[in-house]
Amino acid sequence: MWRMSWSTFRERWTLFAGALLTVVFGVGLLQASIMVSLGAEHPRIPAGSTPGETARIKDAYEGAGSLLGMTAMLACFLAVFIIGSTFAFTVAQRRADLALLRTLGASRPQVVTLLFGEALLLGLLGSAGGILFGIPLMWAQAYLLTSNGILPDSFAPHWDNGVLLGSVAAGVGMALTGSIAATLRAARVRPLEALRDIGGAARIMTPGRWIWGVGMLALSVAMVAMEGGADFLGAMLIAMGVSFSGAIGLSALSPLVVPLAGHLLRPFTRFGPLAELAQANLRDGKRRAAATAAPMIVLTALVVGLTAMLGTQAKAGGVDVKRKIVGEYVVTSNGVDARRIASVPGVAASSTAVTADISLTVTENNGTKRGYRKKVQAGIIAIDPAAYQATHTSRPVSGSLDALRGNAVVAGPGSAEDGVRRGSTAVADLGDRKVRLKVVARMPATLENNADAFFVPNWLLSEDMLAKAEAETTVKVASGTSPADVANRLRDLRIGKVQTVSAWADARVGEQMKQNNSVMMVLMGLSAVYAIVAIINAMVIAGTERRREFAVARLTGLSRRQVVRSALLEASGVTLIGVGLGLVVALAALGGFLFGPDGLEVLSVPWTLIVLIVLGAFGISTLTSTFTTRAATRPAPVTLAAARE
Amino acid sequence: MTFASAHAAAPQGMPPGHPGYPPPMPPAVELRSVARRYGSGDTSVTALDDVSIAFPPGTWTAVMGPSGSGKSTLLHCAAGLDRADEGQIILAGRDITRAPEHVLTELRRRSLGFVFQNFNLVGALTAEQNVALPMRLAGVRLDRRAVKRALADVGLGDRGNHRPRELSGGQQQRVAIARALVTRPAVLFADEPTGALDSRSARTVLELMRTVVDERTGQDGAAPQCIVMVTHDPVAAAAADAVVFLRDGRLVDRLAGASARQVADRLATLED
Repeated sequence: MWRMSWSTFRERWTLFAGALLTVVFGVGLLQASIMVSLGAEHPRIPAGSTPGETARIKDAYEGAGSLLGMTAMLACFLAVFIIGSTFAFTVAQRRADLALLRTLGASRPQVVTLLFGEALLLGLLGSAGGILFGIPLMWAQAYLLTSNGILPDSFAPHWDNGVLLGSVAAGVGMALTGSIAATLRAARVRPLEALRDIGGAARIMTPGRWIWGVGMLALSVAMVAMEGGADFLGAMLIAMGVSFSGAIGLSALSPLVVPLAGHLLRPFTRFGPLAELAQANLRDGKRRAAATAAPMIVLTALVVGLTAMLGTQAKAGGVDVKRKIVGEYVVTSNGVDARRIASVPGVAASSTAVTADISLTVTENNGTKRGYRKKVQAGIIAIDPAAYQATHTSRPVSGSLDALRGNAVVAGPGSAEDGVRRGSTAVADLGDRKVRLKVVARMPATLENNADAFFVPNWLLSEDMLAKAEAETTVKVASGTSPADVANRLRDLRIGKVQTVSAWADARVGEQMKQNNSVMMVLMGLSAVYAIVAIINAMVIAGTERRREFAVARLTGLSRRQVVRSALLEASGVTLIGVGLGLVVALAALGGFLFGPDGLEVLSVPWTLIVLIVLGAFGISTLTSTFTTRAATRPAPVTLAAARE
Repeated sequence: MTFASAHAAAPQGMPPGHPGYPPPMPPAVELRSVARRYGSGDTSVTALDDVSIAFPPGTWTAVMGPSGSGKSTLLHCAAGLDRADEGQIILAGRDITRAPEHVLTELRRRSLGFVFQNFNLVGALTAEQNVALPMRLAGVRLDRRAVKRALADVGLGDRGNHRPRELSGGQQQRVAIARALVTRPAVLFADEPTGALDSRSARTVLELMRTVVDERTGQDGAAPQCIVMVTHDPVAAAAADAVVFLRDGRLVDRLAGASARQVADRLATLED
């Protein structure tokens, strides 16, 4: 059986090329992610860094670590998913061969052994390729992380030979896991199918597909039904859930849904016999159309759904910030210069938030003896409580900002989810001394990412610290005074940047979007590569297997160019349906934001991304279809139409 | 309708009925009142209707009939590839009517051989590997000499290392016959074995099948060869010992030792 696995693999390598490429990508990405993660485990902190800088570097390394963890997991998931669909397709194409083996006396376990043998070979060869591919990929990933500002330029990945063993195990594991469903299905092939195309051979919608597809779609519908009553966080969770469940559900049901959607293309059949043939083929070649459309559905739904969700969150964060500020301008300066703002004529009120370069160790005594300790180094803001309340509408959910006097600290919106309680203690490390503080209030959570973690009283910071620290002063203009005049006076101080609240909030949104895009590029770029591999793979396999059909079409009177054009029209139809269904899932996922959760009627639609996906999908399918159909129609039609093998 | 029983070779001159005359051999395949229907309700089609027939060892029977007469269904049911709705099927001495999958797999390995219209060789394997495949699937020790002999018997001793695509259609069919016979099965089922061949290759294949039936008499321990062949070709059918005719799922006639012309005429009357 093993020898036969090898012979089949060698003979029909084109069938496996896509799956092999997927394993190579999967192993390479996993290996690179692990090596880069190992490098990120020990942050390189330049000598003389302040606690704040140290915290930022450590946070960046930690963030990169979790991003790489997600990348590795996504790589494994996508590899298994695509190997699964590739194997299912190859098994479908080889059904007659497998039935023949059963006719010659092969038992079901023997068929399973044969296919697992092929998967093992695929895993081993893919691992070998993946190990090599992982080396340049490791440097590319490190470059991506540093060039996007996720990690400092001093970062370098860490090479470990032990990881290579893991790569082989991962490659074999991915290939075997991915092939399980198809292999078990192949074991059920009946010998009679060697003699005629019946029963299971014609059945594409297997019970597994039905259960998986209907279950996931039902889950999506249930989530969409809850969209009306969801708050903003709920709408985000629903968006994420529906993007995944809708994409998986529709791709499982694609043999049913894609040909059905093909009916919508009926009006195009008026354009002539080629369009008619293409539409008929699209509806008839269910397996082929589904295998090509499924990765398009997944890619479009996930990329558009998740990008729009993150963009909406960033935008809503900006709206939320604007809503909670009572003022017209924000001045960015250092902590000492900020003191001059209050005395500018026309300024009714001003409050300065100074980014404190200190650390806080919070000890939570939650009634048990153990409690917990947490060291916070970023997001510590020094404020004057009275001034803050004059320019901000946000009030604590527990305690009062007025209590932020003496040795006190307020848990900010950024630590609202951490469960820091009023009455807990926090030790502030000011460099030269330590001060014990008590948590006197808790602020509510905001929609903004990276919101302020703690508010400390501004007396804690020395003059020296204030001079070095970044300060943002919110300015409220006195009634009856021209805001523009006040802005000019503030600019005349020449202490820093003066922006309207709106421009300042938009800049924060822009910064957040940029960070989101970096993360999405690392994560979703990966999904895109996989989806492209899957699409090309499905089209190449289908094209190769259709040589006889194309030959018959030519013998019927079509020219080679017409065959290529008809196949191209069919591929374009499948692309249109695949991307269209993906967009439907994304739209359903984002429905929650249309109801204005938490009073925020915000939706960020990534139009540029959508246009890029549509153009990319059509570009790839056009190139692949043209190339494979031209290759499949190269031999004289009569030699193919007569071919039996 | 049943054939006359076949007997193991009797001493020369001994008449049937003599106390020393060997007992009749059981049929290699027997169908007893078999019915097979497809679909249900208004769309129900009866492919086989109360068919009883026995195929004795050492005989070659051709099955003919118009399209849709049930020829292929008869072959599939007799070979255990399809289930009968009613009746009983005895194959190589075992009742396979309700046999579980593993029993049928075992039977396919040891007692049955298949030859298809489109050869169905495994494209990835050489001719020799294709012939050896049933033995390897059965887990028996690979007898390379037996494999080479099987190929030599079909006149392809020098083509063992060729892949199917490097052989002509006739040669591929001969490899398929060698593969089907290498395990010395009791029954060889052939589905239009000459359907895809030119007349010269078809003649070679038919001569080969004739030789197998005539030369495997059972004296070397293996059962005499039984061949059941479905065909549309009167010339191929005339090469068999007998031709049975089906119409609308029922056995309607049997001709023994008929010429191709006689077979064609009978078929023509059935198709009218």
